[in-house]
Amino acid sequence: MGASVVAALLDVLQFQNILASFIGVLFGLFIGSTPGLTISLGMVLLLPITFKLEAVTSICLLLGLYASGMTGGSLSAILLNIPGTPSASATAIDGHAMAQKGRAGEALGVAVSSSFFGGIFGLTCLVLASPVIARVALRFGAPELFSIVLLGLTLICSFGQQSVIKGLISGVIGLIIMTVGLDPMMGSPRFTFGQVELQAGISFLPAMIGLFAVPQILLGIAGKTKVFPEYKEKVSGVLPKIGNLFKMLKTMLLGSLIGTGVGAIPGAGGPIAVFLSYDYARRISKKSGNYGQGEPEGIAAPESANNAVAGGALIPMLTLGIPGDPITAILLGALMIHGLIPGPLLFQQSQQFVYSVFWAYLIANLMNLIVTFSTIKLWVRVLKVPQRVLLPIIVILCIVGTYALRNTFFDTGVMFCFGLLGYFMMKFGFPVIPLLLAIILGPNLEEHLRMSLIISQGDYLIFFTHPIALTFIIISVFSFFGPLVVPLWKNRKGAARSEN
Amino acid sequence: MKRANIIASIVIVLFTVFYGYLTSQLPSRNLPNTLGSAFMPWLLATLLFGLSVCLLITNAFRGTRENSNANISLKEGFSVVFLTVFVYFYVKAIQLFGFIAITPFFLAALMWISGARKWKEIVILSIASTLGIYLFFQKVFKVILPHGTLF
Repeated sequence: MGASVVAALLDVLQFQNILASFIGVLFGLFIGSTPGLTISLGMVLLLPITFKLEAVTSICLLLGLYASGMTGGSLSAILLNIPGTPSASATAIDGHAMAQKGRAGEALGVAVSSSFFGGIFGLTCLVLASPVIARVALRFGAPELFSIVLLGLTLICSFGQQSVIKGLISGVIGLIIMTVGLDPMMGSPRFTFGQVELQAGISFLPAMIGLFAVPQILLGIAGKTKVFPEYKEKVSGVLPKIGNLFKMLKTMLLGSLIGTGVGAIPGAGGPIAVFLSYDYARRISKKSGNYGQGEPEGIAAPESANNAVAGGALIPMLTLGIPGDPITAILLGALMIHGLIPGPLLFQQSQQFVYSVFWAYLIANLMNLIVTFSTIKLWVRVLKVPQRVLLPIIVILCIVGTYALRNTFFDTGVMFCFGLLGYFMMKFGFPVIPLLLAIILGPNLEEHLRMSLIISQGDYLIFFTHPIALTFIIISVFSFFGPLVVPLWKNRKGAARSEN
Repeated sequence: MKRANIIASIVIVLFTVFYGYLTSQLPSRNLPNTLGSAFMPWLLATLLFGLSVCLLITNAFRGTRENSNANISLKEGFSVVFLTVFVYFYVKAIQLFGFIAITPFFLAALMWISGARKWKEIVILSIASTLGIYLFFQKVFKVILPHGTLF
């Protein structure tokens, strides 16, 4: 085993593999930070190149893209409040708030450091505990997936800070929007008004770009408001102090744990992980009041989760040959092109290659850290572009980005409709994060609920007889009622104290 | 915010009624032992109705603790409508004339609306940005941008 580990390391450290990792990281940063371009698209574009490369070089290239694509999504989220990937939407909350206070460099520094931490944590779990995690993750059937989606949805309450009712309304509207399209069980159209494009449902990428970018464009161009912070002075504080990072260790650990766990569950998805980690980090933090107003911990939690998801998602792919999301499905395909079939046999027949994957992922994370840190000042320069130039370019990028998703302007229309909805929601004080959460999680909720009932022949007890599902349902109940009950309890306690 | 909340809740109630009507038109055929197509929409319509009525009642009788104001000036409202229509025509124009031909004009117009007044800056940046985006998407990422009748 020791010889295989060393041989795999030496293999990965060859010049062409390091170069492949570097190219993958650069490509991923661009893909991730451009609204509308997805990591899966980047992988698909690189896939034909890998036909001619060796298996280890291919995996270095693709893992480089995977690791940095996640970080790239956060760059645009922090600087422009336009998340490049759905998983970066939680980072935008505190990241952009910090950028608006002139702390963009520091926000990016925290994002990159915690991404690295999450990536390494995910890798450690992949190396040390993959068989155990994979076994637990495989026990997730429809009832368990329903309960974890339900848990994700209970976070809606936490994001309705000014008014819980408005947060809930926003979430329910999001769920209603996701009922548009074909019925997941029967395949009959619902609320499609005869439009073929609506039969596939509302894609969440145009919705996300619309909700985040268009209100800013409208405020900036139509309302003549300053929507981007001006960056005239030198960018400083990019490299976070060790002491500050140490203070965020608990937050990063929590985010990484949630990220790896959720990532390992096939079909659960990164957005659940980032919102769960953001919410739980806020709940355990002493600075919970600062969340949403530019708190570095609010970046560290979702960012560490975001990159830990990648490590987590590799666990079922490598150990069982089950891809949890489109990205790992493409990775699986890339391995199969080279005659490597992921699954239990891969660990026996191609042990050295498995170690090469581990090393390649470590190199990808290190490369991501180095490349992103050394280019942060370049990224922040985006904010030096005057708003009168930047906003029109963002308009074009959003239009082309949404068009690129399915080569149709229908998605561009969807983006603009969501943009107008987001604009009016912002003006009327409705939070958009619950809407986004519901859009991301909504389709899975209904599908897993109905699938579970088919399995149980209509018996609702299925959710209470499966221990994992029951655990998540109990946590969901606490998670939902917590934000409603705790303030009332604190008020009562405060009143009792003042009476005494 | 109190008035804005009352208006918003009335709009949402009206939307819920419309959504409920559409839900009632859904087909009733279903697989055995599971919920029908209309179950989730009915559940959501009921929830939304209840929540919007709650918002209406609390604001009408108790007021709100929210400290922000929902102010959209007439000028801003007009600008939002104008910008939406402008983008709509741009998207239609792309399909007619192609991305390369129409985007520099659209960008230049948007820059002017956004406050840019130096014509050299407007011309150079609008052409350079169009070419940059075209090369980035079409050549690097192989996204086929729409070709019109001219290009």
